[in-house]
Amino acid sequence: MTGGNNQEKDISRMKPSSKLLSMFGAVALAAVATHGAAAQETLTINSFGGAYEKLHRDLVITPFEEMYDVKVEVVTAYSGDTLAQLRAQKDSPRFDVAHFSGGLEHAAAAEGLLSPIKPGELSNYDQMYPFAVAGIEKGVGPTYSTAVIGLLYNTEQIKEQPTSWNAIADPAFQNNVLLTDAASNTYGLLGFLMINKVAGGTLDDIEPGLDFVKGILPTSTVVSKSPEIQQNFAQGNAWIAPYAQDYAYTLTKAGLPVKFVQPEEGGVLAPITVNLVAGTDKRDLALKFIDFSIRAEASKGWAEGLRYTPTNKTVELSDEVASQVVFGEDEVAKLVTFDANEIAKKRAGWNEAWSRAIAK
Amino acid sequence: MSAGSAQPYREPAILLTPGLLFLLLAFFFPALQLLAQSFLTFGTEPARFTLEHYAKAAVDDFYAGVGVRTFRLAMIITALCLLIGFPLAVIITRVGPALRTVLIVLIILPLMTSVVIRTFGWLVILGPGGVLSWTLQQLGVIDRGISLMHTEAGIVIAMVQVLLPFLVLTTLGSLGQIPPSLEEAARVMGAGFFRGIFHVTLPLAVPGLASGSLLVFALSISSFITPTLVGGVRLQVMAGSIYQQMTGSFDWGFGAALSMILLLSTLLLIVPYMVITSRIGGRK
Repeated sequence: MTGGNNQEKDISRMKPSSKLLSMFGAVALAAVATHGAAAQETLTINSFGGAYEKLHRDLVITPFEEMYDVKVEVVTAYSGDTLAQLRAQKDSPRFDVAHFSGGLEHAAAAEGLLSPIKPGELSNYDQMYPFAVAGIEKGVGPTYSTAVIGLLYNTEQIKEQPTSWNAIADPAFQNNVLLTDAASNTYGLLGFLMINKVAGGTLDDIEPGLDFVKGILPTSTVVSKSPEIQQNFAQGNAWIAPYAQDYAYTLTKAGLPVKFVQPEEGGVLAPITVNLVAGTDKRDLALKFIDFSIRAEASKGWAEGLRYTPTNKTVELSDEVASQVVFGEDEVAKLVTFDANEIAKKRAGWNEAWSRAIAK
Repeated sequence: MSAGSAQPYREPAILLTPGLLFLLLAFFFPALQLLAQSFLTFGTEPARFTLEHYAKAAVDDFYAGVGVRTFRLAMIITALCLLIGFPLAVIITRVGPALRTVLIVLIILPLMTSVVIRTFGWLVILGPGGVLSWTLQQLGVIDRGISLMHTEAGIVIAMVQVLLPFLVLTTLGSLGQIPPSLEEAARVMGAGFFRGIFHVTLPLAVPGLASGSLLVFALSISSFITPTLVGGVRLQVMAGSIYQQMTGSFDWGFGAALSMILLLSTLLLIVPYMVITSRIGGRK
């Protein structure tokens, strides 16, 4: 600062022409200086690309850069790729903050690739639902928003809102039930695990779920990719389908008469987490970013933009948005979590059993 | 060719090098890697030799069923392509240059579109409430909507459309080499149109039909996008199963074993086929 002041005095004593010159010099110096600072303070994160990444920038990344005057480098990488990179770069990680969906943060935390966070390190900690910050001291970062698996139904064909997962076995909906492959689609798997739970099964025993599915299979359609769900709803073949609340919004935006409902047995949580990478040399800035990600404003933005359920308790939503997402403490309390570690351990076996059960 | 050359193989070898290098890198290297993987345990502890992946594939009737379906479908698809493709190719060689160009463009045009796009086109046609179902309903043939989605018939229809150009184009090459005078001679000697084609054109076109049908067979055995999209998850084929093992269950060893079985059984079918057709085609 003192140097700057001396420079100003010097400038005032100069001739106009040289004054101008040194002002240019000062501007150039300042530019170099800020550029230098920005280069020092660069946070590297991943995001998931497309519309998701765009909203991610609007809600979190750009405001964060402005607030802390830093640069955030965004690498588009899905969860699986990100985990692979963290494994490969264990000693000098490229990422400072890693976003995961689909439960891979549990695997990463168990392998020591993610760093534990203390509640005191996050100023927004107290605003969060307990499930969203349950794992932070073990390295599983906060859930900044969550997808929810429940039932999607066609409001023109089904006048009375279904209340239970068992609705997919309702004879009235025969030939119009759409199931999603549990072996290739994570949402499909979570939906199946819930069907299994309602049918009396557990993560140790998926036979009840498989029997239930086999029972409705002759009059159901099984698809594996989300565009097929849209197609089946659009062509009138699907009236009811276990799937995600954010996808119901995609269908609504496409003009289809589709509504999402959380059945009374509960919807399934599919958390999206923001994690502190172990071994980053920018721990403080990364923590600020994580704290910034879970603030109410961002959580609200995810609900408004893509219909993910807010995990910050203080979020308030308009009636329209609130009617399309699982929202409010009572509704959120019904949500069911399946142990991601158990899922990872048993998934290969389940895939096999599922494929056999549905094979023609 | 080799007259006066001390190293008769040098020039051909140079010409072959780029292709061989590519084959080595893009086929033999990954195939050998898969071969190794199929005999190794996979997991956190150091890999060791095992036969468990092959044992699993051998005793499991689920995968046997998937294999049988894959080969059955490939044979049906190949047969249909031959049945449709050969007459089409004959017609193309007979018509005037302008119409020929139009027909060839029509054959090639689908190849300009990604197979995913073409398959999605079939979803719209074959799906429930799709064009096919609607038309049949309007004509009064059926009273309830039908769907060929998630059926083997659907897979065959979509695959024949995707693969037909390969057969027609290779057969055209063969037909183009047949002197028209041969068939003219047959006609002069009193053979009718169909007899001429059956006794003269068809046998002479065998080399083209053989390579075309091999291409179609190999492509349909290994095809993955169309069967998965049209057939759905309940009608698995080998390529889809392998994909599922590799990317869904992360059982790379078993996926590699399935790949090897697919490769081997394809070779077991293709090699005798090549021998037989080359005899018919009059080659050595």
